[in-house]
Amino acid sequence: MKKVALLVLLGAAALLPIKYGVAQERAAALAITVKDHRFEPAELRAPANRPISISVKNADSAPIEFESVSLRVEKVIAPGTSGTVNVRPLAPGRYEFFDDFHQQTRGTLVVQ
Amino acid sequence: MVTINKQKKIGTLLRLPLHRPVLIVAIAAVAFFACRVSAQAQDNNAFHEIETKYIFGTFTVGSSTGIESEKAFEPETQAAFGKRGGRYATSATTLEFEYTPTQYLQIIGGPIVSYYNIRNVPDLDDRNLATVSGFEAEFRSVLIDRGPSPLAVTLSVEPEFHSRDETSGAKVVNYALDVKLEADAELIKNRLFLGFNLLYEPETTRADLGMWSKESTFGISSALAFQIVPNVVVGGDLWYLRHYEGALFDSFTGDAVYLGPTFYWKIAPKILMSATWQAQIAGHEQGINAAFDLTDFSRYRARLLLEFEF
Repeated sequence: MKKVALLVLLGAAALLPIKYGVAQERAAALAITVKDHRFEPAELRAPANRPISISVKNADSAPIEFESVSLRVEKVIAPGTSGTVNVRPLAPGRYEFFDDFHQQTRGTLVVQ
Repeated sequence: MVTINKQKKIGTLLRLPLHRPVLIVAIAAVAFFACRVSAQAQDNNAFHEIETKYIFGTFTVGSSTGIESEKAFEPETQAAFGKRGGRYATSATTLEFEYTPTQYLQIIGGPIVSYYNIRNVPDLDDRNLATVSGFEAEFRSVLIDRGPSPLAVTLSVEPEFHSRDETSGAKVVNYALDVKLEADAELIKNRLFLGFNLLYEPETTRADLGMWSKESTFGISSALAFQIVPNVVVGGDLWYLRHYEGALFDSFTGDAVYLGPTFYWKIAPKILMSATWQAQIAGHEQGINAAFDLTDFSRYRARLLLEFEF
């Protein structure tokens, strides 16, 4: 049993550096603003298979939580401040994001 | 005759005061969700992305590993009911703390509190006991991301320590390792999901006599989950389990097929619940000429999970 456990753990450990190694590439920089509970622009575009850095500015008077299930990120941003969200390299596709404190505030990241 | 008896039994149950409120609540819940389904059937924009980890009821687990930096408290209760005779009900509640340090890895851990209510069950001592019975940790890593393909796969490795036997409640020293491949596919965007798990769980136990004994369980599952209204998912989960003596499938002792409904509800942005109840619908125990394997497995099993994110 010890051998099996060791093999499983080594296998899992071996997979992680591959992913993190990819994430060392230079990130594509994007910027977005939340104003009047709307993302501006509502659609962002980014290259595929490269890390992405999204600067999120909260121009509203209430805090927001930038969140995405498929991007697997969330960040609380106080009113009048900015925050940066780092995203792993992505395959081409459309990825939703939203403000978890105001669920009707939604946008899309298009990766090509 | 059987039908008449069954009708009598159902009639008796409905007359019991406990079942009336349950029935009323169930009918009201069905009516409520039916109204919402019809109101939103034409509005697919109301359905957004959903984390798949708990949408299959938690016996079958989806591939989602959470959101980076997310922390949550998750009390999860697994219950088992029914053996070959007598009265058998046990539960194990894991008070889990879940943390997602990266976009690829999730760590979960917590103590286990068990309850045993066993009376007149063949081969088991009578017991009525609630106690802290162990600790478990879990490491989940993404193997295949959902991308161009709708399929996503996660590897879960879960070392466990138990100071009480999970079935009998007897004092033991037990170490187990749950290894699971958790896969799911999005069949209809944001609406219909297919889940698939592969389980291997070797364990070693030292009981009263001081001897160590090894056993292992192999399992395969398939589950379907449909988001009927935003944040509410219903479905079904099917499991096939095989139990062996020995850590590497040395000697087959029995198998079981479980089937049951699943329910998931994201109650609020930071709170969710997931529940399932399953019955052993087929099974066989080596050397016993009777339906089901009720030595290695229970007749019924259920799970209830609540998640509070903070």
